[in-house]
Amino acid sequence: MLLQAAGHEVVAVAAGGDELRELLATTPADVAVLDIRMPPEPDGGLTTAERLREVNPEMGLLFLSHYAESHYLMRILRIGTESIGYRLKEKIGSVEALSDTLARIEAGEIVIEPVLAKRLVDRPGAQRKDAVATLSERELDVLRLMAEGRSNGGIAAQLFVSAKAVEKHIASIFTKLDLHPDASVNHRRVLAVLRYLRSQRDED
Amino acid sequence: MRLEPAGASLTSESANGAVNAEAWRRGELAEWHRRRLLERKLHDGAAMRASALVLRLGVLRELVPDGNAPLLEGIDDVQDELHLMLDELREVAAQIYPPLLEEAGLVPALRELVTQLDAPVRVIAGPHAQTRFGDAEPAIYFGLADGLAAAARSGRPVEIVLRPAVSAGGRELLVSVTGVGPEVGEALLDRVQALGGTVESGETTEVRVPCE
Repeated sequence: MLLQAAGHEVVAVAAGGDELRELLATTPADVAVLDIRMPPEPDGGLTTAERLREVNPEMGLLFLSHYAESHYLMRILRIGTESIGYRLKEKIGSVEALSDTLARIEAGEIVIEPVLAKRLVDRPGAQRKDAVATLSERELDVLRLMAEGRSNGGIAAQLFVSAKAVEKHIASIFTKLDLHPDASVNHRRVLAVLRYLRSQRDED
Repeated sequence: MRLEPAGASLTSESANGAVNAEAWRRGELAEWHRRRLLERKLHDGAAMRASALVLRLGVLRELVPDGNAPLLEGIDDVQDELHLMLDELREVAAQIYPPLLEEAGLVPALRELVTQLDAPVRVIAGPHAQTRFGDAEPAIYFGLADGLAAAARSGRPVEIVLRPAVSAGGRELLVSVTGVGPEVGEALLDRVQALGGTVESGETTEVRVPCE
């Protein structure tokens, strides 16, 4: 209902992942909205998304959940790092929030629930390992907003600085994190975010 | 130093002791089961209802005629209140039984827990990050959650190493915690002794718990 109020067309609705895949095989859609805990249980949303991405890599994926957990974020980012989103159900409770999320996913961005991105980036007592430790406070601010999937313009607006300044910070982050300049900018953004998130967790 | 359970000797060799120990273990397992059901009920009931309300209010908001600012503000306020309520419900649910502990297991749940602690705590599981440890999972999780809350205040770096082992009695989970005081061992002992687990406290706190 909220989707319709926001002017989006709902082309198909399914109770479970398997039904959804069947429907989407014949009905084209821009974005599939999934619940992580949807059937087939217990995390059917993730397995469904993996298959949807295989069949149709162009289609955006939006995960809605009652919980924002970094464990699921890691699994989602393994499915894809473009046109993908993970948000708390209740946080897309307005037409603006929902449309903004969908528009960013359609534009190819990653959209991450801000509270989750913040939690991962703000661990106060945590030792920031390796290269991430060399970033300045400002660069960390920029990286945190990148982790939320914000564009340069969005980051500039949030930090009240010029887009040029943001570009400079991002270039410095890429250098400090030793990210290859021949990868596309979008790809390097994702790598920077992943490097960052990983430095906050112990994947060993 | 091996920490001993307080009160009666529950590791007694007598037949009576064995019966008591088994009853104690079953009671503890029933308690974890009850907690899982309670968390599920909270999620499927109150939490689902509240988050559906947020979305319904979002739909109603679109029906408000242009220029009725007080009504729009009122709806925004109610949505904000519902957000707070959902945060509180999540907090309570996590204390009853963290959903991630049931869905993904001990290592992911501990990693999530330590990202929320105001302290440098590392969880090291080597190749066992996905391994499930059966009945030992809630005992270790809640023991560490209780114990680390105190340890976190010291700000010292803490390392938690988890690994499975096989003993004469069957499969076991070994947990070594470094960088913490005796309160962590005591908190863990409270949880693991009913399952037949042991805690050695010293430079490193070493816990062994049978799983299954």
